[in-house]
Amino acid sequence: MSDLKSDIKQLIIDALGLEDISVSDIGDEQTLFGEGLGLDSVDALELGLAIQKTYGIKIDADAKDTRNHFSNVASLAAFVTAKQAA
Amino acid sequence: MINFNIAAWRAWAPGLDSVADWQAWSQQPSVLPASNAAPDVSFLPAMQRRRLSRLARMAFSVGWPLADGHEALPLVFASRHGETPRTFDILSDLAAEQPLSPTQFSLSVHNAVIGLWSIMRGETSEMTAIAAAGDGLEHGLIEACALLNEGAPAVLLVITEEQPPHAYAQWIDDVPFPYAVGLLLTPGMQWQISLATNATGIEKAPWPHSLNLLRHLLDEQASFQHAWKDRVWNWQRSL
Repeated sequence: MSDLKSDIKQLIIDALGLEDISVSDIGDEQTLFGEGLGLDSVDALELGLAIQKTYGIKIDADAKDTRNHFSNVASLAAFVTAKQAA
Repeated sequence: MINFNIAAWRAWAPGLDSVADWQAWSQQPSVLPASNAAPDVSFLPAMQRRRLSRLARMAFSVGWPLADGHEALPLVFASRHGETPRTFDILSDLAAEQPLSPTQFSLSVHNAVIGLWSIMRGETSEMTAIAAAGDGLEHGLIEACALLNEGAPAVLLVITEEQPPHAYAQWIDDVPFPYAVGLLLTPGMQWQISLATNATGIEKAPWPHSLNLLRHLLDEQASFQHAWKDRVWNWQRSL
């Protein structure tokens, strides 16, 4: 799980071109969008795509809880784990 | 006929940044070796510059210093081929039946650069993105002069071309290397351009028009011609 979190952090950095940020700069519970890391709506789409490609899972963009899954790295890791187990 | 002053200019190509670099190049113009180098745009916050392609970085690097101190500055952006590397990436994903990158898609349109310019500078003046043929420089100047005639105290014209991906090499033969040229234009009679429509016997310029213009800005030649298809642009400088 902790490896998954750091993998997701690296994925965020690579997929979104955050050249001046390293894995250790992103907190597990840090808010990703808006405040916190300061990502925007295009980043949300890009990250959704990267997660789907990397982990072979489907994300329903219209599902109500999708927004919650993307709130921070810990919630994303829990989401990926649950999806992969399903 | 259109007339204008070139109050200042900036240009960038891999390895060519300063006036001295361009002076040296224009004395012995040559095709630059292939390079992935991109200009420094560290004047932009990291979160803003991270999505900029080299084409956008080139446009910003020549335009930004010219716009310095101008509160409201209309912009004309001219590129014949635009973001060919992005287009090619998107088409490659499509061909492989892969989902498209939203970032690539949103920034692949021809007016993406002026949109980013507007957001990053908080600039709400008129902005135009044009894709003309090999005489995009002159078409951009017509657009810019129309804005000057409407009363704009200055207009920024940025002409830029990216090295197209190899797959397009067969069709795109007018980009010897990636480059950007920025011209800060003001009303005046320093330069006059008139258009004639018989290009018989007139050779095409040896370099893209905006690079050829740089050569003449530096060698102070009083008149020259740029011919493209049946259009002949007669450039005249009042010294």
